Amino acid sequence: MSINLSTPTAAAEVPDIRRTRGGFLWQVIKDRPSAAVGAGILLLFIAISLLAPYIEPFGLRTQVGPVFCRPSAKHLLGCDDGGIDMVSLLIQGGRISLAVGFAATLVAVIIGGGVGILAGYFGGATDIVLMRITDYFLVIPDVPLMIILAALLGPSVRNIILVIGILLWTQPARIIRAQVKSVRERVYVKRARSLGASNTRIILKHVLPQIAPLLIANTVITIAIAIFDETALDFLGLGDPSAISWGTILEHAFVRTAISSGAWWAVIPEGVCVTVVIMGCYLLGQAVEDALNPRLKVAHLSVRRFRMRPLGALGAALGGARP
Amino acid sequence: MRGADYVLKRAAFALITVFAAITLNFVMFRALPGDAVTNLSRVPKATPELKHALLIQFGLDKPKWEQYLIYLKQLTHANLGVSFDNSQPVLKNLKTDLANTIPMVTLGTVFSIVFGILTGILSAWRRGTLLDQVSTNTAVAFYSMPTQWLALMLIILMATRYHFPTQGISDPFLLNPTPWAHIKDVLRHMFLPSLTLGLTLYGEYTLVVRSAMLETLGEDYILTARAKGLPPSQIVRKHALRNAMLPIATLIALSLGYIVAGTVLIEYVFSWPGIGRAVVEAVHNRDYPMLQGAFLILTVSVVFFNFVADLLYFKLDPRVTE
Amino acid sequence: MRKRHLVVGAVVLALVAVACGSGATGTKTQSSGGVKEGGVFRLGTSSGIDSLNPFVAFQQDAYAAFEYIYPTLVQYDAHLNFVGDFATSWEYSADGKTWTFHTRPNAKWSDGQPLTAADVAWNINTILKYQKGATANAAGYVSHITSAEATDPNTLVVNYDAAVANVLSQFQQFFVIPEHIWSQHLGHGGADLKTFDNAAPVVSGGPFILKSFQKGQTALFEQNPSYYGPKPHIQGFGLQFFTNDDAMITALKSGELDGVETVPPTNVKTLQDAGFVVKSVPGVEFHDLIINSNPKKTTNVELLDPNVKKAFEYAIDRNKIVSVARLGFAQPGDSIVPPATGIWHDPNLKPIPFDLNAANQLLDQAGFAKGSDGIRVAHGHPMAYTVIFAHDEAGPGDRAFQIIQADFQQIGVKLTQRALDDSAAFDAITAPGTTGYLNFDLAMWDWVPLIDPDFILSVVTCGQYGGWSDSGYCNAQYDQWYKEQSTLTKQSDRVALVYQMQDQIYNDRPYIVLNYDDQIEAHTKNWTGFVYSPQGSFNPLSKATMTEIHQV
Repeated sequence: MSINLSTPTAAAEVPDIRRTRGGFLWQVIKDRPSAAVGAGILLLFIAISLLAPYIEPFGLRTQVGPVFCRPSAKHLLGCDDGGIDMVSLLIQGGRISLAVGFAATLVAVIIGGGVGILAGYFGGATDIVLMRITDYFLVIPDVPLMIILAALLGPSVRNIILVIGILLWTQPARIIRAQVKSVRERVYVKRARSLGASNTRIILKHVLPQIAPLLIANTVITIAIAIFDETALDFLGLGDPSAISWGTILEHAFVRTAISSGAWWAVIPEGVCVTVVIMGCYLLGQAVEDALNPRLKVAHLSVRRFRMRPLGALGAALGGARP
Repeated sequence: MRGADYVLKRAAFALITVFAAITLNFVMFRALPGDAVTNLSRVPKATPELKHALLIQFGLDKPKWEQYLIYLKQLTHANLGVSFDNSQPVLKNLKTDLANTIPMVTLGTVFSIVFGILTGILSAWRRGTLLDQVSTNTAVAFYSMPTQWLALMLIILMATRYHFPTQGISDPFLLNPTPWAHIKDVLRHMFLPSLTLGLTLYGEYTLVVRSAMLETLGEDYILTARAKGLPPSQIVRKHALRNAMLPIATLIALSLGYIVAGTVLIEYVFSWPGIGRAVVEAVHNRDYPMLQGAFLILTVSVVFFNFVADLLYFKLDPRVTE
Repeated sequence: MRKRHLVVGAVVLALVAVACGSGATGTKTQSSGGVKEGGVFRLGTSSGIDSLNPFVAFQQDAYAAFEYIYPTLVQYDAHLNFVGDFATSWEYSADGKTWTFHTRPNAKWSDGQPLTAADVAWNINTILKYQKGATANAAGYVSHITSAEATDPNTLVVNYDAAVANVLSQFQQFFVIPEHIWSQHLGHGGADLKTFDNAAPVVSGGPFILKSFQKGQTALFEQNPSYYGPKPHIQGFGLQFFTNDDAMITALKSGELDGVETVPPTNVKTLQDAGFVVKSVPGVEFHDLIINSNPKKTTNVELLDPNVKKAFEYAIDRNKIVSVARLGFAQPGDSIVPPATGIWHDPNLKPIPFDLNAANQLLDQAGFAKGSDGIRVAHGHPMAYTVIFAHDEAGPGDRAFQIIQADFQQIGVKLTQRALDDSAAFDAITAPGTTGYLNFDLAMWDWVPLIDPDFILSVVTCGQYGGWSDSGYCNAQYDQWYKEQSTLTKQSDRVALVYQMQDQIYNDRPYIVLNYDDQIEAHTKNWTGFVYSPQGSFNPLSKATMTEIHQV
């Protein structure tokens, strides 16, 4: 049971972009301001996370004031429930939030990509079996499944990455499968096959380059979903409590009743960070998809599956929009 | 007949998926470390008899395959079993939970659709202007916010200032209210949770409507209509919006399937006694029957609404080929 | 007991802060003049009532609710003495095997049916009859009872097979449910007793009737005109269940509640500033670091070394934990029998102080030298341990863990936190299987003892493997003492033995008790008359609070 809404006409519209492969992303960023903003946001946060140990003003376990101390000149965002400087925590928090986002997406793309390529390229029984497995993951409600998996595996950063990856692989799988199917029918691939090239060679040399840009767009959006999922898991108490991520910062504040104590500074900033990063991924991903499908007439019908949020649908929906 | 073929095929797939889901879930829940018996038998002065009694009561003393068959048999009689936690029928518990979740979710969805359509139209009509940018980006911004955080923001901003309750579905101390007073009370409690849901979802409708309308608005006959001086509202309503109906309908159908599961975070923050909260508690208690029942209902709802969306798409869009 | 599955606190109304000194029974209200009658008290709680069926329910508020709607033979008064509730007086035979209770005459249930000693006898005999099945969770209260009978409507005779030390404590927790209602649910070999939902309005015998109940939302109690005891001042009270403390405190501040059962330490100041009455009383709940003490442990056996355990305790800064994790609203810990239990806590038991040098010294003497990374090596492996961290402990517990982790770093021991939900945590502790206790090293969890020390002393017996034991401690001599203390009817004898037992546990260190939490609650200035206890004022120990509170 799956929504193949994105398959029929959308696939046929994938432009042949072999030549522009290397500079494609750069091209998109140059052409579209929203992509530039998105990429800029991501780069900024990545830079902050990498430089974290050097730019954090205070220690991450050092109590610099009373519990929930108010913002002051020295501590611009006050303290959390352990009296620790919020600014330092936020800078540090990005590391795990982003790392989990990237790593989980990597897991999802590897699994999903593999499944998608196998199903799309080989078709037949392989396709049917793999798609049924995909359907199971599609119909199971996400958040409940996430809760179960986290309870099953136990809360560590590594397990969180696995759990989120397991939730998210279906999206790349379906997209890749669709693209692979269409690319497979292209003349040059047919020619390569008739010339006796091995399947692996065809997949690597001809299929992958074609689907790469769409994969990139989808990957960026998947990162956004992964970061979102990570904060949700943390909030429900299923994250690793000794890890410092934006999600656990929010969870600690909530459990220690920051709101009813009036300590808004312990609650607002981490959410702003998450929102901005997700928006950045979003803008970049959507611009890339947009560039790939400029004439996607029925893009607005490519309503993708509703994950925790229908982020995918937003991207697809924008495919047909004029700038 | 192609149409019937398509429907039957889809229906068959749906059933197979549900069955596979039931089986995989059965296995998955029992893989969780710890179980309800150890939880519930930790009572002061517990005797070994208590554990044994609980094992038998929950049917956990039987081999797993036998438990599975018993479960399947019960399902054919529409019996979802008895909760380990409060010894009441799962169906009874779930009915109450769903009855609490559905109105809140409906209100939130209505809000998101209405607000989404309005902002989508606005953005499309004023394409390229600052208004369009602001409207679209705001939509994306709300869409990007973590649900639990947005809920907490709304609590901070609105709860005390405007006296909106932040938990539960009604005031328990409103004794013997008139029907109208009761409805008002429930709506007041529902406001913040539904608003949270609505805000996080409306962005999708905005963008879908905007893009659908943009497609149509550029058409020649629209230009003609505008040249003729027809009022914009009429143009929008009669022509452009019509184009957006299909994606909106599909979106709604898809959303409905998943939305019930997506309210876990909202129910957690607002202490809303719905199915999301029930799932969290059931996992905590290792209450297998409740978990199986909840997942079954959620899965069936997703499958059903996906099926509806497929049908809609198939029926309404003549361009779809198999 | 675990916080979540708190069953019946036989917690004493230790009016530690308030009334004891005055000699009077605390904040008793004047019966004449000046007391405003009426009103409905709205109480917020982050606990819950999981079921209205006493054979099914496990949550704390369920038991507090039962206290107010069902008779018990005895209850606690403000000074830890047992006073009558449904029983007016009692005596026991010379050999301690026969107890006779005289119950109130002419008492009625809320539906007008007579409430007599026969009800109590039926309760006891029914529990005995199905103790291997439906009533298994109440079987503990009738242990050693062979039979019970009502020789006349106001006289109950209970027969034991041995002398039992804590009969009154057992009956304090024993809720008497109406025979005429429940005897209709004995089908399926008694299994119907558990499936009967006992839906509201519940036929009640206590000062209140449970009028309406919505699981996960509210429970409303109304004055019971048929109650045999003193009439409450309030018309009724209501419980509102919250899934998180934040929402509960917000509701209190915005006027939706009149009081809350527990106040997180982070909210005390804001509530005080907002004009609420905030009351803090030393409580019985304590948090601990558990060290796997299974004598059969084969890995990391250095943890069985008493000097290593002592070193660990030297490295724990209890004062800092109290200040950071609980913002000062706690007492540093020592014995597993908390001071708030009154006479049962050994006043001569003093914990060792926080002293990193002493800790380092002990570990040096044990021959565990520090490696190049600063972590000591014991028996060929680094002293690096995983601490199983129960989800119950989240929040303050995380802070406590971080403090301990940092200090242990200084003595060359590395700790890693592994957070698990309660079921998984227990599973990990008892692994392999449910009685192995071989795999885990350290854990952090909590206990909520009863006032009568029998329960908390039992959790470290060999017999509780797979039951309450979360430490794997097993000591045959200790088990002997445990059995003995349960038969010592002379209190001074029992007290002496209980002191001996808790000292033994302290020195053997299956637990390092970190701190005893204060019980903090709050209410608006418009209400008074609360009878406080280490388990709050709304508790399963006596019917006093809700009977005595009134508006100002």
